Amino acid sequence: MEESHAARVSARPSQEKVLSLRGLELAFGSNKVLRGFDLDLYRGENVMVLGKSGSGKSVLIKCIVRLLMPTGGSIEVLGHDLLGLDQEELDHLRVRIGFLFQSSALYDSMTVEQNLRFPLRRHWMATTPGEAEALVTEMLAAVGLAHTRSLYPSELSGGMKRRIALARTLILKPEIVLYDEPTTGLDPITGKEIVELILELQKTYGTSSIIISHDLHVARLAANRIALLHEGRNYAEGTYEEFRASQDPLIQNFFIFM
Amino acid sequence: MKTERGGPLHAFLLETGGFSVFVARFFRNAFHRRFEWREFVRQSVLNGNGSLPLVAVTAFIMGLVLTVQSRPTLARFGAESMLPAMVAVSVVREIVPVITALICAGKIGSGMGAELGSMKVTEQIDAMEVSGTNPFRYLAVTRIWSTTLMVPLLVILASGIAIWASWIGVNMKDPLSWQLFYRQVFDALSLGDVLPAFIKSFFFGFVVGAVGCYKGFTTAKGTEGVGRSAHNAVVMASLLIFIIDLLAVQITDILGLN
Repeated sequence: MEESHAARVSARPSQEKVLSLRGLELAFGSNKVLRGFDLDLYRGENVMVLGKSGSGKSVLIKCIVRLLMPTGGSIEVLGHDLLGLDQEELDHLRVRIGFLFQSSALYDSMTVEQNLRFPLRRHWMATTPGEAEALVTEMLAAVGLAHTRSLYPSELSGGMKRRIALARTLILKPEIVLYDEPTTGLDPITGKEIVELILELQKTYGTSSIIISHDLHVARLAANRIALLHEGRNYAEGTYEEFRASQDPLIQNFFIFM
Repeated sequence: MKTERGGPLHAFLLETGGFSVFVARFFRNAFHRRFEWREFVRQSVLNGNGSLPLVAVTAFIMGLVLTVQSRPTLARFGAESMLPAMVAVSVVREIVPVITALICAGKIGSGMGAELGSMKVTEQIDAMEVSGTNPFRYLAVTRIWSTTLMVPLLVILASGIAIWASWIGVNMKDPLSWQLFYRQVFDALSLGDVLPAFIKSFFFGFVVGAVGCYKGFTTAKGTEGVGRSAHNAVVMASLLIFIIDLLAVQITDILGLN
């Protein structure tokens, strides 16, 4: 029998805020994508940001790592005002934030091993070749793909690419991980495996996560809390059960295929 | 003057402004203490080695053809003995630097536009940025430095090959010892011929790298955009090479080096 949502993900694990978004705004010309979005993330927590395609979910997490610069509001990450940091400070902080891209974004001219070694080049974690080697081995084992070390991304399946991207994201041992549609484009079985892997790695490395998706199966399996992004704002927040029980037609629309 | 949005003048101004900002960004990062030496060496070997066969063959053919085709005209004026000097001045001052730069624009510039463009649309550049590595320093600065230094080296090699081919061309009709040929060549060449050509080839190299990287970094609209970036990199770099050449001629003229 399937494990219940409550058993799988506990309530808010900590009161320590690791991320706080306040009044976040972003516009592309006259198109206002974010119109005052608020969200808090607590240590050890998984928050899923739910929203329709094109609602600005990916834009939102790109703001959190400053790949996009918000036009208004504030972002506090691990005690730092993200929008006030200079480039050097930002690069240091980014090491503490992992980002799993929807497309996996593996460097296609590098082997799997080189992909994993790349983030280590600049950072204190891999001070010796031996330490770097140990980290690469550990991460490949953690995602169950130790045998792919010398392969190129073009030789991997979609699910394998996603796992390697996850290993590359976690190799710097980030405190916060942002997942952009981690199961999109994967078959349901592989998608479920990826979510289980995310949960397992989160337990091992103690990360806090924001998961962007339109798939409530992911929420059911992995999220402590769901935030619904609608018209650029945090429209509703709650647990999966609270969303399931909601009578709001907008929320109910997401359960059509469940 | 009216600059209609979306019109050709508007597009030209946008392109000029964008490229100027990109070049300014290069100079802000070009001498940064965290220089990516390994990537710079890799790019230099790749660009220098990769272009050498094509540049060498082209230089050989240019030297030979120019010699063979110039002989009848010089013979008409009884000036056949001027052939080595004429060919040497032509290839060293103008033909080899410009043709080598155009070959590099076609081979290296388009390759950079396509490679970086592909990395851009598949979010690999974003992935690099969020892992705390500055993609501009890693990808653009190293490539621009490598072409700035490699194109002049290729020009020197190509000039030598073209002059050697010219000696073969001279010997196809009348035998001439290479000692005598080279004495005539070096008697004809002055510092005023060699130095401007050498200096302008640094600018040619810079343009090849800067345009290729600029086009790659500004790629949009998916795979179609990648093709367009590669194509536009060649067009824009070639045009800038001719403009620089024109300016170089004017400057050497003003300085009395012609």
